[in-house]
Amino acid sequence: MKHWFRLHTLALRHTLLGLLRHPLSSLLNLLVIAIAAALPLLLWLVLASLASVSNRLPVEPQISVFLKNGHDVAATKALEQELAARKGMAKVRFVPRDEALRQLEGATGTTDLLAGLGENPLPDAFVLTLHGTDAAPVEALHAELARHPLVEEVQVDSAWAQRLERLVALGRSVFEVLAGLLALALALITGNAIRMQILTRREEIEVARLIGATDAFIRRPFIHFAAVQGVLGGLLACGVVALLLARLNPAVSELAQAYGQQFALQLPDWRVLLAVCGATTLLTWSGAWVAVWRHLRQWR
Amino acid sequence: MSTIQFQQVTKDYAGGFTAVKNLSFEIASGELVFLAGHSGAGKSTLLKLIAGIEQPTSGTVLVNKQNLARLSRSSLPYVRRHIGLIFQDHKILFDRSVYDNVALPLDIIGFDGREAKRRVQAALDKVGLAGKEKLNPVALSGGEQQRLCIARAVVHRPAILLADEPTANLDRDYANDILELFKSFHQVGVTIVISAHDESLMADYGRRILRLKHGQFTA
Repeated sequence: MKHWFRLHTLALRHTLLGLLRHPLSSLLNLLVIAIAAALPLLLWLVLASLASVSNRLPVEPQISVFLKNGHDVAATKALEQELAARKGMAKVRFVPRDEALRQLEGATGTTDLLAGLGENPLPDAFVLTLHGTDAAPVEALHAELARHPLVEEVQVDSAWAQRLERLVALGRSVFEVLAGLLALALALITGNAIRMQILTRREEIEVARLIGATDAFIRRPFIHFAAVQGVLGGLLACGVVALLLARLNPAVSELAQAYGQQFALQLPDWRVLLAVCGATTLLTWSGAWVAVWRHLRQWR
Repeated sequence: MSTIQFQQVTKDYAGGFTAVKNLSFEIASGELVFLAGHSGAGKSTLLKLIAGIEQPTSGTVLVNKQNLARLSRSSLPYVRRHIGLIFQDHKILFDRSVYDNVALPLDIIGFDGREAKRRVQAALDKVGLAGKEKLNPVALSGGEQQRLCIARAVVHRPAILLADEPTANLDRDYANDILELFKSFHQVGVTIVISAHDESLMADYGRRILRLKHGQFTA
């Protein structure tokens, strides 16, 4: 155990000294790792934030049906019952024009809209919520209600929420592909850097092997080097993302406000950051492992 | 008891060159043996076969009764730790100090710091390089580099010492110093095989001489 510990501290000391001995190339390597890790992290943050917006929005299809003014109360009741009885209908809510006006006053923060307008300009309306997310039945109902004699106008409210959700879903697929590719790139970059190191230390490896070094002894310093680079690269990636967020957030908030949303990209909590460092470390570690394995297997 | 045993060992290299042909011999534990012959006679190959660096094409090499060809990849390093190697081309590492070169076998075996320091110092004293620990090996003369190589080979006190042309390129006095050094290791019971193309040096020591020519023993 003591021996094992000693071997590892020895290798680690060697690694840190090695990093300091070539500060420029070490820094460049770290930056490559950091950028490769920061890109998917940033995309993931954007997606997570968008998903939280899209979760707040009704994604189930919602249709507002505005009625003509001066319609018959009994006919309206009949229409409401007929709609409620339909297959796929989740909810039918009648919004009388007075309530609509109160809601508008509430939303705009004014108390006396009528005083300026003289008369309530808003129509009575139904707000329909449908089951499922299929577009076809929504379109059919939209077309049918538009022709109804009681109806002035029909509006599908949830369309943009659905579009946002699909966009987020697409974004997730892009994220998965991008993260996969960059992970592979990260492992390859590290593997290649380690391969170069092996080449420059070929003599040392050969001598060590000839005088009784095990594969583990030869592998150790390279693996340590890669792991340390992975940890530092991951931390640097978090730093890069934090900087980018500070730079991007004012613009993002302005955009969100244009849609009436409170929204800013948040730096994820420590668990996500830990996972990022863990992932970069695992990737650089495996890249190094493969590179050393390829070198070692040429000997018996 | 024999430490090294060759049974009809042949080594062919790629391209059809036969370096060692049907050799059988034994070296007893604690024996000092010279290996003579011109360059290309098969001396280096023979030493490499003992160290398990090369595998025989046919025949069996036993070291401490272990068949090296049958050893797994993971156990070979542990056998090598009982062997001290002095390479013809020295294989000194110029990216570290004299001290660190000698300490390498101890790092590999995993000696703790204080014991390692003591042993490195003892090995450097023995070969006459005391006081040059901190130097880069580049600053050493050819003979000193040879001594450094010897210090590294004996620092972990191996049971077998294999030296490939340790006296090549050295003037006669210096070569004799080196051979005296080997004699002192021999006196403490180390089995030693030394190869050289200059047989006149060996004659003074009155030890067994194995003469190789085209991969075979001559009388």
